[in-house]
Amino acid sequence: MSLTTEVALTHISRRASSLLPLLSAVIVGFTVCGLIAKAVGLSPLLMLTELIKGAVQGPQLFETIARAVPLTGMALAAAIPLRAGIVNLGADGQMVLGGCAAAIIALYLPAPDIVRLLVALLIGAGIGGAYAALAAAGEILANVPLLLSTWLLSYPARGLCGWLVRSPLRDPITAWPSTHRISAGVRLANLIPGTPINQGFLLVALAAVLIVFLDRRSSVGYELRLRGLNERFARYGGVALSRQTTWLMFVSGAMAGLVGAIMILGSQFRFTDGALTAPQYTWSGVLAALLAGGEPLGTVVAAVLFAALQTGGFAMERSVEIPRVLTMVLESIIILFLSMRGAIWRRGR
Amino acid sequence: MAFLEMIDIVKRYPGVLANDHVDLEVSKGEIHAVMGENGAGKSTLMAILYGLQSPDEGYIRIDWKTVFFRSPIDAIEHGIGMVHQSFKLFESLSVWENVVYGREPRRGPFIDAAASRRQVAALAERHGLPIDPMARVGSLPVGVRQRLEILKALYRQVRVLILDEPTAVLTPGEVAGLFRVLRTLAAGGCTILLVTHKLNEVMAVSDRITVLRDGRVTERLLTAQTNAAQIVRAMTGRNVLLDVASANPHPGAVRLELKRLVVGGLGRRAVNDVSFTLRGGEVLGIAGVAGNGQSELVEAIMGMRPCAGGNIVLNGHDITLRSIAQRRAAGVSYIAEDRIRTASAAAASATDNLAFGFHRRPPIAVRGLLRISEMRAWARTLIRKFEIKIASEMTPVGTLSGGNLQKIVIARELAHDAPVLIAEQPTRGVDVGAIEFIHSELMRERDRGHAILLVSAELSEILALADRILVMYEGRVIAALDRAEANESILGLYMAGGEQQAS
Repeated sequence: MSLTTEVALTHISRRASSLLPLLSAVIVGFTVCGLIAKAVGLSPLLMLTELIKGAVQGPQLFETIARAVPLTGMALAAAIPLRAGIVNLGADGQMVLGGCAAAIIALYLPAPDIVRLLVALLIGAGIGGAYAALAAAGEILANVPLLLSTWLLSYPARGLCGWLVRSPLRDPITAWPSTHRISAGVRLANLIPGTPINQGFLLVALAAVLIVFLDRRSSVGYELRLRGLNERFARYGGVALSRQTTWLMFVSGAMAGLVGAIMILGSQFRFTDGALTAPQYTWSGVLAALLAGGEPLGTVVAAVLFAALQTGGFAMERSVEIPRVLTMVLESIIILFLSMRGAIWRRGR
Repeated sequence: MAFLEMIDIVKRYPGVLANDHVDLEVSKGEIHAVMGENGAGKSTLMAILYGLQSPDEGYIRIDWKTVFFRSPIDAIEHGIGMVHQSFKLFESLSVWENVVYGREPRRGPFIDAAASRRQVAALAERHGLPIDPMARVGSLPVGVRQRLEILKALYRQVRVLILDEPTAVLTPGEVAGLFRVLRTLAAGGCTILLVTHKLNEVMAVSDRITVLRDGRVTERLLTAQTNAAQIVRAMTGRNVLLDVASANPHPGAVRLELKRLVVGGLGRRAVNDVSFTLRGGEVLGIAGVAGNGQSELVEAIMGMRPCAGGNIVLNGHDITLRSIAQRRAAGVSYIAEDRIRTASAAAASATDNLAFGFHRRPPIAVRGLLRISEMRAWARTLIRKFEIKIASEMTPVGTLSGGNLQKIVIARELAHDAPVLIAEQPTRGVDVGAIEFIHSELMRERDRGHAILLVSAELSEILALADRILVMYEGRVIAALDRAEANESILGLYMAGGEQQAS
């Protein structure tokens, strides 16, 4: 084995085992944003304090948690396949299908409220999963790259749901194309009165704990991890890659579908065209998963951090008129800096 | 007398002293072998001589003049040429274009093609290197490509030619041809440095030998006054049993049977109509120059590559259409040729690598959940049993030497205790000590009644271990021999495709 591979390997293991790079990336990100703020005549210190206050002070903390719920869910949806080296870019479509299906069942299933709620969650997850598995089938049977199929399949899903709420399911009294309002009994209950935190928080937290546990302790998680490190090795050892890809995509899509259902049943109460995708949880989630290299616990941490940055950014813009786009710059710099490190380090040797 | 001297060379890498005050002295027109196990520092030393690395201490003298090389360009300027293990050729260009590249005879702004061809042909003629200047490189066999690499060096008027493991890819016939060329060159005053770990070749062709171990010179020998055992001792620091005595086989029941197996390939069949049976308690060797269908054959048996025709019967079950996991469960384990790309996950720990394949059943897994302490205990047991040198069972295996990584792979595959073992190039790129260990493990498996399919391009390995030998050439089995009737020259003839007789 050549020396360069050895250096690269120790580099990878060091990267995985240390928080230092993440920390330094965050510091560099804040520094650069501070400099930008200063350059345009804003106070960097003010920016920082407003950002932190906006993320965690008083009721803002609940805003952050409420935002972290769907963001973490979507981050996990991206992280599950990424752990095995597979990218799901179609979580938008899977989430929208899940949300739309959940709304339809919550509105029209002839059954008691609690049954309607549970079935809505289950079907929402199931349909998102099935739709993602379709992309897997495309790769296995026809060699369509998942990167492409997941992403492109997102559009027909969104288009279909948009059409549904425009004509057959439309609530005529709303300005936006959306379904009727889901009755109170079929909603996810509020957990802390006066805050936007509902039972969806518990569902996502449960999913996160389960995923972290399975990743670390189960045979299945072990196979995923080794596949992510060397797919050829996994195959050589007897892992049925196609079957694994299929159920992996199903679980990933189900997670996205569940997030869609949670948002409909927990906070939006009706399916409105474009409302689920507008906050771009999918893409923040993909970034969080990439940042952690698919490792679930790291993904959760990154997702919560992004949620805090985003709510902090909104608050900062409202209170001191520092544009929120600076927080997006911050996010980007952190990620760019982390991806760049490899090259810098290698040259240093 | 010394024409080329490397004096007091020191090269440090992070954590490793690759060359520790090494002196190398070579006379004009000498064939000088540089030997040592993997990691002994011979590649580093040659990289310094060719200007790829610069030494931390020490210097180089050629013809009594001290020289400093900042890059291979400087080295080439001083008449040093190198034939790398993997050739550096433009496959889509012709032989003459490859030779003159960078120093083309010109006519005005254009390359003078006619003059180039003439010069290349004359050069080849003068040095006894038969080659067609017009041939396209991509269509040439490996032996001829190597000739072309030597020709390239000669065109640049080398005085010192370094060859890095030049015989790894050659048939015995081609090896003999190469040695003839090297002797002619040496007689013409060219100095040749031969980096290798093959004892018989060194004994056959070299004048003097410098042996390295752990970055230091352990021995300088005159080939005429030494023997293989002394060289091995200098390389390893101990006495090594070179031949694992293989007792008479006691073949048992048929374990693996191939019936007219066909595997597709690009343009032609990679494996064409191969049949054989393998019994318990015997080693079936598959000899052949790399690239004649052996890898495809093995991958088809393991299910990593689809079969286009024929059947595979393993322990009485037709497994032709089964998955890899089902085949492994039916009783076959597999030491893959490429331990880094296929048979391990470099960034994963020894524990993760050693437990793979055992991770779905007790004691390592119970009801789908891993028992981490069992997993680590399992890894520690195997590490101890196979004497793997590793800091701890949690160390990533990518940090290990070739021999130790191979031991990880072999430990895991033997632990399956499968009645059939496929060993593909099990000792390639591992040091002499590890080779001895691996060979004796394989023989022990055989003596326990297991069936072993041994694929190797090393004839010495095939002859030392196999009870029966098949030779593959262009996807076919063109000869089947008992070990008693086989020797290097017969096998070499078949490996080159000679006497295409059916088995």
